[in-house]
Amino acid sequence: MHARRPSDLVVVGLALACLFVMPVRAAAETVLRTRLNADIRSTDPGTNRDANTDGVVAHLVEGLVAFREDTSVGPMLAESWSVSNEGKTYTFRLRQGVKFHNGATMTAEDVVWSLKRWLDPATQWRCLSEFGPSGIARIEKIEAADPQTVAVTLDQPTALFLPTLARPDCGQTAVIHRDSVGPDGKWIAPIGTGPFKLGEWKRGQHIDVIRFDGYASRSEPRSGYAGAKTAEVDRVRFNVIPDSSAAKAGLLSGSLDVISALGVPDLDDLKSRPEVQISVTPALGLTGILFQTRDPLLKDVRIRRAIALCLDTAEIADVVMQGTARANNSALPIGSPFYGEVQTHGYTQNIAEAKKLLVEAGYRGQPIKMIANKRYGFVFDSAVLVQAMAQGLGVNIEIEVLDWATQLDRYNRGDYQAMAFVYSARLDASLSFEMLMGPKATQPRKIWDNPEAQEMLRQSMMTDDTAKRQALFDEMHRRFIKDVPMIVLFNGAELAALRKNVKGYAGWLYPQPRFWGVSVQ
Amino acid sequence: MLGYLARRLAMTVPTLLLVAIGVFTLVRLIPGDPVQVMLGDAADPAQIAQMRAQLGLDQPIPLQFVHWLARLLTGDFGHSITDNLAVLPLILERFQVSAVIVLVAVGLAACVAVPAGLIAAWRQNSALDLAVVGSATLLLSIPSFWLGLLLLLLFGLKLKWLPVIGYVPFSENFWQAMVFMLLPIATLTMIEIGVLTRMARAASIEVLRLEYVTHARAKGVPEWLVLGRHVLPNAFAPTWTLIGLVLGHLLGGIAVIETVFTLPGLGRLLVDSIFARDYPVVQGCLLFTAVIYVVVNLIVDLCYPLFDPRVTVA
Repeated sequence: MHARRPSDLVVVGLALACLFVMPVRAAAETVLRTRLNADIRSTDPGTNRDANTDGVVAHLVEGLVAFREDTSVGPMLAESWSVSNEGKTYTFRLRQGVKFHNGATMTAEDVVWSLKRWLDPATQWRCLSEFGPSGIARIEKIEAADPQTVAVTLDQPTALFLPTLARPDCGQTAVIHRDSVGPDGKWIAPIGTGPFKLGEWKRGQHIDVIRFDGYASRSEPRSGYAGAKTAEVDRVRFNVIPDSSAAKAGLLSGSLDVISALGVPDLDDLKSRPEVQISVTPALGLTGILFQTRDPLLKDVRIRRAIALCLDTAEIADVVMQGTARANNSALPIGSPFYGEVQTHGYTQNIAEAKKLLVEAGYRGQPIKMIANKRYGFVFDSAVLVQAMAQGLGVNIEIEVLDWATQLDRYNRGDYQAMAFVYSARLDASLSFEMLMGPKATQPRKIWDNPEAQEMLRQSMMTDDTAKRQALFDEMHRRFIKDVPMIVLFNGAELAALRKNVKGYAGWLYPQPRFWGVSVQ
Repeated sequence: MLGYLARRLAMTVPTLLLVAIGVFTLVRLIPGDPVQVMLGDAADPAQIAQMRAQLGLDQPIPLQFVHWLARLLTGDFGHSITDNLAVLPLILERFQVSAVIVLVAVGLAACVAVPAGLIAAWRQNSALDLAVVGSATLLLSIPSFWLGLLLLLLFGLKLKWLPVIGYVPFSENFWQAMVFMLLPIATLTMIEIGVLTRMARAASIEVLRLEYVTHARAKGVPEWLVLGRHVLPNAFAPTWTLIGLVLGHLLGGIAVIETVFTLPGLGRLLVDSIFARDYPVVQGCLLFTAVIYVVVNLIVDLCYPLFDPRVTVA
């Protein structure tokens, strides 16, 4: 028997080490599993998209600027910016050392290339029309002054330039590496600067995003889509689960860690589960009743006002949202920085006044058809409560339930008497009014056709003077309440259910979950 | 046999053409627009018009139909409006998932239902018959989504034996795939047992009353041989027809089961596409379902002589 050589021992030792270390490493991968109610449409930001797509893609790419928690715009890939040339030129100073997912360092040339790609009609960017003839402003020039500086020149000043760049549905006007597209310009996959990079996408099943180790995080705290973005888990798996009961079972069995966009009906049950925590965040969406002001009956503002005055909106919000949302009659969401004391003045229930208005208007129980849908349960529930309260006043509302696509078609054509509807989040106050206002003759989907208010909206888009904008929004609110083109009921809430081992999750005003800064313990 | 097959296949051409016209017309009659659904409430008319033009939806509907049909004849089902994927490969990929569940479930259900129906008929009006008929009626009456959720809660949540969500294709890992497929297959099997047992029992009762069965018994043929040789082959033909219909129906999609168990099958694809007004996918799915129906029924007809020598295909 001869002595074992030291090299043998090293080999054996290494082999044993591998045996022990390898499984430990494999097992150490931290995965956060969450749910999408439908698959994403593509990985191309701001083009073939929907809300789910925006939410997933926000983990992969970033733009020059991003929305903060309070809906103000903050720097993201830009270190800072300055505005010159009478508000027409924006000069962005870029952050240094920002890496793309392929390891390349981001330069001003990449920003210029990305912006020009967005503005190319072939890209089919959702927000291209914002920079067209009928948009907020035209972009006249984009140039890289030096490797860290980009200047964008507009044809006119606008307060909406930065908010539009930051819009999640515009893909945050992401800065991507040019290898994200092929030589023919066709989209391949996002090579962005986000805290996660794209992993496996199995259509109809799941999308994985994987921690990007080369990510250069900002130093400020996480705020909305801005601030620090640290990936605390190795992988986030977005499972496509259309059925909410199956998703709930997944959470309770431990197959899922987070269910975002939780339905109100599931709230009570999940609240009582010891292994589950609930996150409730005020939302920016707008749920309410739209009126067709060109309808022979509802063109009489007294009838619209009577319906508004018969409603107890606080009760509707409380019952429908199970105490997670506050009533709001303003077109500005409660979370908006422009939501002030003026906006709290809406409709106060006054049955006597409502009855008087109906008599004056000569209303004699003519039926009013109100369209609703069941895709959004809270919209249908709101419609039922409005119907019941109006019935108490003698207003005969009949609910017609349609599927969402049909309702959207009727909305776009203005083909309805009344409609229970939900508007998606708008992160700028001007946009909150813009979605409602416009000439019905050319844009039948618009619900509020008031030229004076329209002019105020235009002014609010031209100036970034906060006090001036506030005054304009206050006056628009007063006129909105007076004209009653719509009864806003509430802004809703973003509900999420998490297993207790999930730490760091926080919803925000925008209804898409963020998984940077979130860990699984 | 070959002549019969050719005739049957030729007959499918006008059927499928009618289906194509019907499907195209019905899909376009549904209110709503894929572009509006894609762009949501924030879309302006210019954006909508631009995208409609890009997708060719601004062309007159008859022209759209002619284009679609012309491409169809070359085997091109078009591309999905939602995610721009080629429709036929998408359908085939999703069909594999549905087909595995349906074929296994219906096969298992037939293996249980045919003997159960035969035995129930053999012991008609006994406690055993009552138990079989009662169970079959119960299974038939349970909605599939409810049964699926119950199984999910029991085996996924309470006992934690099986996963609640997810899917692995058989081509990737057979055993893992089985684990994910077990509950959907069990759900569908139980539902179909109810359907098939009742048919098998009724057909067996009919046959048990016939003279050749009495004759066989009078000759002293053992009871198991009477059932196995004389009753079963003759009673199986109607059940086989029903199996064909059930297969054709289910292969077109088991949307509810696929939704409950989060499986990317053909039924879910169809339902999602309808909600998104993804015309090429809806049209493709419905046409594909019609083809499946025709093919399954053809196979069923061709198999008849195997079970009933009186039937010939010529």
